[in-house]
Amino acid sequence: MEKELRDQAAKLLEEGTVDYIVGFASGTLKHTTTPLITGDKDETSSLVINPFISNNLATYALEISGRLGIVAKGCDSRSIVSLIQDKQITRQDIVILGIPCSGLIDLKKVEKLAGKERDEIDEVVVVADKVVITVGSEKQEVPAAAVLFDHCIGCELQIPQEYDFLIQGPAVEIRNSEASREKIKELKQMSPDQRWSYWKQQFNRCIRCYACRQVCPACFCERCFVEESQPRWVSPVSQWQDNLIFQAIRAIHVAGRCTDCGECERVCPVDIPLRSLSKEMYDLVGEMFNYKSGMNAGAPPLMTAYELTEVESLIR
Amino acid sequence: MITKKVSKKDIRKLLGTWNQECNVIVPSRVDGVVGMAAWDNQDISFLDWYRNTVIPPKSCFLPKSEVMMSFKKNENGYNLEVPTNEHWQVIFGVRPCDARANAIIDHVFAVTYDDYYYISKRRNTLLVGLSCTNPYDSCFCTSSNIDPTESEYVDLMFTDIGDDFVIEDFTGGGKALLNMSNTLKKVTKADIDKIKEVKAASVSKIKKTVDTENADRKLGSLFNDTDYWERISAKCISCGICTFLCPTCFCFDINDEMIRKQGARYRGWDSCSFRSYTRMPMENPREEKWRRVRQRVCHKFEFFPMNLGINACVGCGRCIRSCPVNWDITQVIAGLPAEAGIKSGK
Ligand code: SF4
Ligand code: SF4
Ligand code: SF4
Ligand code: SF4
Repeated sequence: MEKELRDQAAKLLEEGTVDYIVGFASGTLKHTTTPLITGDKDETSSLVINPFISNNLATYALEISGRLGIVAKGCDSRSIVSLIQDKQITRQDIVILGIPCSGLIDLKKVEKLAGKERDEIDEVVVVADKVVITVGSEKQEVPAAAVLFDHCIGCELQIPQEYDFLIQGPAVEIRNSEASREKIKELKQMSPDQRWSYWKQQFNRCIRCYACRQVCPACFCERCFVEESQPRWVSPVSQWQDNLIFQAIRAIHVAGRCTDCGECERVCPVDIPLRSLSKEMYDLVGEMFNYKSGMNAGAPPLMTAYELTEVESLIR
Repeated sequence: MITKKVSKKDIRKLLGTWNQECNVIVPSRVDGVVGMAAWDNQDISFLDWYRNTVIPPKSCFLPKSEVMMSFKKNENGYNLEVPTNEHWQVIFGVRPCDARANAIIDHVFAVTYDDYYYISKRRNTLLVGLSCTNPYDSCFCTSSNIDPTESEYVDLMFTDIGDDFVIEDFTGGGKALLNMSNTLKKVTKADIDKIKEVKAASVSKIKKTVDTENADRKLGSLFNDTDYWERISAKCISCGICTFLCPTCFCFDINDEMIRKQGARYRGWDSCSFRSYTRMPMENPREEKWRRVRQRVCHKFEFFPMNLGINACVGCGRCIRSCPVNWDITQVIAGLPAEAGIKSGK
């Protein structure tokens, strides 16, 4: 897959079809990758495809001007489509280099299973539907589903359907929607009081770094409510109440746009289970409006399109 | 000076003795996130798992948010109340990088300016350092001339030599802490040999290195190279992680909260990475992302050395470990183009 991707990316730059390629390169730390944004065709030789390519590169489509060739997993391709639907980017400016995906590895799950931290783990290798974790001379083989991200297990589009080039490769069936909603199910079993104190505890440690918002391609507002001061919707002071309101409003604002890429939860430096909010919104949108974000570039966006025949007089 | 040692099994007793006189703060997992938090007078399991905190110890003096004063309306105006801080605390387990970082922040809040809120916590604090024996792959303290087993910025320094910790004391406060305890033992000649061994081994475990020599001058000559900074900053997403978690970053923001005629003035962390930085009083002079990234790099490696003769990066590696896009400051420093006329290295 990598060779095909590199060749295609180099070709796009060479022909001048795109100004930049946005893809993944190996990271500077073990088991990590890093976004590679380059206009230099020689650098395309460092493009990689592996189970650690976590970033949703659609985010960069919002800020880099020029024509982009973006490497996109299923969820990323949906975010790109969603941005096209919302008229944040134009289809013609983007060349989608789709890649099939068998799920990404959640290092936190690996760390837990291995009882070691990321840098103490020597190897994490995917072999079909198994993952082999090596620490020193000890090897541990676990089902892939045990170490893939929750959102990957719930993935509804392992192979992008909107693309300009589709890199050929396997996409091992990984779907287990039940397991992907495990945390949400636990939350739903709590009493409202228990749930309230659960979230209070979670948001107590939010440091308001806004990484969750910054990585999110659905968070494309030029001005975010959280920083508005006239009027001030949320206090900038990090207190659990305001941290919670920030996230609750964010979850509502991305409803119908969120593609369950899981990035917000992955990047949170204090491990707040943000996907429990965004995924619940995602499923509610599915149930209530029979709508899946980013599946059809031609479809009107859920939240911002309206018709003169709408039932609600408010928007008519 | 190395004088005493304490057996590992006596650590609970030692901390317990201190905890009777002051608040003992230790590395703790609070809801899964490692930071410095009040000791429960019992649990010392951190000795087995603790490598470094996610939330840096600066938060003991400059918390993510704190009350500067509370106010309440009365007939004549407002009642103001300013929090005081009289209790003593001992922070146990400070790593050498973070100890240096505290000293760097001291310059800002306690040397060039007397910041009441910072000083009121800092002056009542004794720092007990703990040598690193299991650094992360992202630690590069040795490149900032820090030895992971030594610190001149703590009151006491503990080094693990197997069954015991060897203790070095540096200050009167440190000596006072030692005098409070009767669980300490004398160090032997063999211990001294062992500590040398341990220290050498720890240093050799730091694998990430970067040549920071002349970084300030190189950055100075690159300052106006927009293309360079645009390239370097491209993948950064302008979040607050690297600055909030950096033990030497100290930007803050002040906000008043008032509901029904009473409220408080808060101070909390702010970040030069944010696009909204300083937008409240005016505009952000660093509207473009590359200017913000340049600020972070230059503040650490050019402005601080220029003003205080010391790099404001201690090589703790937090910003690399936690960055959502693996933006690695060592890569940037290593990749600085050599400036004509600067001879490299010693
Ligand atoms: S990433 Fe986590 S800590 Fe940062 S603002 Fe979002 S919820 Fe808070
Ligand atoms: S809300 Fe989270 S899961 Fe949804 S698109 Fe944004 S980053 Fe991805
Ligand atoms: S360097 Fe990384 S942690 Fe820092 S602002 Fe950029 S994306 Fe966030
Ligand atoms: S810049 Fe990074 S490595 Fe340096 S002190 Fe700050 S967080 Fe640590």
